[in-house]
Amino acid sequence: MQNLSELMRRLVSSQVEFVLVGGFAAVAHGVTLVTRDVDICCRFSEANLMRIQEAFSDLHPVHRPRTDLPLQLTSEQCSRLKNLYLKTDLGVVDCLGEVLGVGGFDEVLKNSIELELPYGNCRILDIDTLIKAKKAMNRNHDKITVMLLEKIKEQQN
Amino acid sequence: MPGERDNEAMVLKDMVLVHGTEAEDIDLSLLKDSLMKTPWERMQANDDALNFGESLRTAMQKRHAKPK
Repeated sequence: MQNLSELMRRLVSSQVEFVLVGGFAAVAHGVTLVTRDVDICCRFSEANLMRIQEAFSDLHPVHRPRTDLPLQLTSEQCSRLKNLYLKTDLGVVDCLGEVLGVGGFDEVLKNSIELELPYGNCRILDIDTLIKAKKAMNRNHDKITVMLLEKIKEQQN
Repeated sequence: MPGERDNEAMVLKDMVLVHGTEAEDIDLSLLKDSLMKTPWERMQANDDALNFGESLRTAMQKRHAKPK
């Protein structure tokens, strides 16, 4: 059964270095579209990837493009991976090494803000950078998200 | 219902074929997962996504409410 809050709690409590990006970052800023997968940008170091693996270890994590492949990272894989698309018993988590239009993890981190969640703090992409990223992605639903984020910005000013 | 799910899988297959050029815009594996669920399971997944989104929005409102 899907439980995205529990996935997030596990990432936070396992001290994974990540920033929430994508649809749920937009939702946090006020966008009313519904999304299903948790998109995070994270540091693609071996230590951090192993923290992700450990956080989801009892949730039968598999590689989303190949669900017959369980998540069993090796040092060699960690050094080659750019993105990690995961499916777990509690939902889907896409781990990105970089965000189009923004850059790698350090750049994403620099353009993030901290949120206090019931189970700990997490960082999400700030609204201006999220607009930039969504414009760079430019898929149909990104265009709608950009329109909504720009309206939200107008209301806030 | 297995029959219902088979039909949905066919719909998905057709959709990929007919709208192949739009497939890059759509996460088909998420859609496929959704079609594997019963309508009730889909509603529960939707509720869960809404609840998670609400917790994020609440945290954001709390952040805005804090004195700078």
